[in-house]
Amino acid sequence: MQEFKNLKDLPEQDYFTGGSSACAGCGPSMELKLALKALGPDTLVVNASGCMTLLPLYPNTPLKVSWIHNAIENAASTAAGARHGLDMLGEKDMNVVVFAGDGATYDIGFASLSAAATKNERIIYICYNNQSYGNTGFQWSTATPYGCETKTTPRGKDNPIGTTDVHKDMMKIMGAHRVYAATASLAYPVDFLNKLVRAKERGGFSYIEILGTCNTGWNFDPRLTVKVSRLAVQCGMWPLYEIDKGLLTLNKDFQELKPIDEFVKIQGRYRALPQEGVEKLQALINEHWAQLKEYNGQRYV
Amino acid sequence: MKQTLVTGNEAAAWGARLARPDYIPTFPITPQTECIETLAQWGADGELPDTYFDKMESEHSVMSAAVGAAAVGARVFTATSSQGLLLMHEVLYIASGMRLPIVMATVSRGLSAPVTLWSDHNDFLDQRDSGWLMFHAENNQEVLDTVIQAYRIAEDPRVLLPVMVNMDGYVLSFTDEPINIPSPEMVDEFLPAYAPAHTIEKGRPITVGPPVLEDYSIFRAQNHVAARNAFEVIEETQDDFEKIFGRRYHMVDEFMLDDAELVLVTQGSMSTTAKAAIMEMRSEGIKVGLLRLRVIRPWPAGAIVRALKDAKAVAVIDRNLAPGKGGIMFPEVVETLYHLDDRPLVSSFVVGLGGNPQTEVKIKEITSKLKEDLVSGQPRVEWNDIEEM
Repeated sequence: MQEFKNLKDLPEQDYFTGGSSACAGCGPSMELKLALKALGPDTLVVNASGCMTLLPLYPNTPLKVSWIHNAIENAASTAAGARHGLDMLGEKDMNVVVFAGDGATYDIGFASLSAAATKNERIIYICYNNQSYGNTGFQWSTATPYGCETKTTPRGKDNPIGTTDVHKDMMKIMGAHRVYAATASLAYPVDFLNKLVRAKERGGFSYIEILGTCNTGWNFDPRLTVKVSRLAVQCGMWPLYEIDKGLLTLNKDFQELKPIDEFVKIQGRYRALPQEGVEKLQALINEHWAQLKEYNGQRYV
Repeated sequence: MKQTLVTGNEAAAWGARLARPDYIPTFPITPQTECIETLAQWGADGELPDTYFDKMESEHSVMSAAVGAAAVGARVFTATSSQGLLLMHEVLYIASGMRLPIVMATVSRGLSAPVTLWSDHNDFLDQRDSGWLMFHAENNQEVLDTVIQAYRIAEDPRVLLPVMVNMDGYVLSFTDEPINIPSPEMVDEFLPAYAPAHTIEKGRPITVGPPVLEDYSIFRAQNHVAARNAFEVIEETQDDFEKIFGRRYHMVDEFMLDDAELVLVTQGSMSTTAKAAIMEMRSEGIKVGLLRLRVIRPWPAGAIVRALKDAKAVAVIDRNLAPGKGGIMFPEVVETLYHLDDRPLVSSFVVGLGGNPQTEVKIKEITSKLKEDLVSGQPRVEWNDIEEM
């Protein structure tokens, strides 16, 4: 399978058609639509409970590929079973692709993900990271960034910051599993799809984490989904990089990051974050970015 | 046919091997571990050429992987016990709701806390509303035979439900018994390859496990209908099994019931002990018999009524406890008999929790008490093991 050169190079054929129940401006559903262009019709999507679980609603579905939803914490294990079942039955060229949120990935499904990666199961695991439990109405997960307000980390008199924890460095953890791990963004679709192509060609387990830009949870105008996705990359909130066999490659380098202010000020989830919180968030981002710059092209984990 | 000494765990592994599953996801837990270790070794030795043996990081993932594999049309086997079965609990409902004919051997062990490794039936019976068909074997031959039968029943288009085959930990799982291991050719004749009508495959996309709105109750009702269809399929399966293997099993196991006034209702391996005690009591002129519950789901009400309708007094011996309620099977038996005009007196005995041994002496004591109940006309509810507290 060839890598794509530019947007015009992407296949016209869609396997995610109209009639889905996703919110207007939903990032993850557009990301799945894009992913299926690269993956094609012979794909089984294994979904973990979350927003995307509502794409098919009996007896309708917007999908033209097979889909299985088991529960929230077991997508990787379900996918491993499906992979081996298909292999044993001679359907080796079916893609098995997980599409799971960050709660299902970082938190409750972490053990099953780690085992599947350790066993290098031939699965492409896509985590659409909306930095929260989105489908239940935006609660904290271990992917929620510092300073973000959620329904379970609300701002108040005693806690003006909201989320005071620093999110889990999942890319480093997955990189340490000696698999292919990459970040992606809706605003850089060619980069995203080429990472899927690389994952597929590479075989074995791949972990691709795409920022699941969520206008309802993050509270911004649904027209701005792509802009917010791009800003996240440009501010260093969501750097694009890959880790393969421990080696780091920064896919989108910048001379200078845009200030995190630009990202923060257009989203309700950060709106009331005090200046000291914004400064700490900026410091955390700078630290991570400096680390990526330092290790670019070198062994990272 | 040659007899071989095998443990209950090995008998389950033999049943699985002969059924030639495509996929076996596993996780160790005492007292089941020997079953998956046996399969792992056979796999390493090239004895399971048609099977992918997998190791998972939890029982929850075992059942999740089983669901994934069964949904793409693979024949799946696994085994678990106790805490592991409870960890699977969530996914058991998903497996039956998706109508996936997974077969699983369960090895009963009491539940924490406190920790016990020994057997009672709370783990198994905790799954009784999960939509799985549930068999409880008395001995190692029955374990092997029922695993093979389970695939026929589970994969029948009238049923399409997962099946659990239970054995008691230690008493069966770790005890050698002489059994007949059928030839692969005979098993192939009895059990054709699985050919699912609806499955995930290339060129024919389907959706498995989506949300539904008001149709939810229709899907649940279909599960109930499928479980009830299993009555007919189980009977047919026993007929075919007997034709090929010469052994016959029933929905319930009836022992010396013909003229029995007193009947003990049991489950699992304690039935063998009780049968020995009954033979001794019979020689003393006591008209006592035994009904062993073999199929727990679907609940064979008809067979139970036929077996118990002429009894004068029945003792339901539960090796389990629902705290605040009592024995789990006692109310199930009582409601089954309730509508009879001339129903027997039914007493409840909770015994053998956490592997407390069920001796012939204890069985005789229960029988004496049941006889007293018949004379007094007062059924009793007794926790035999803990009454001295």
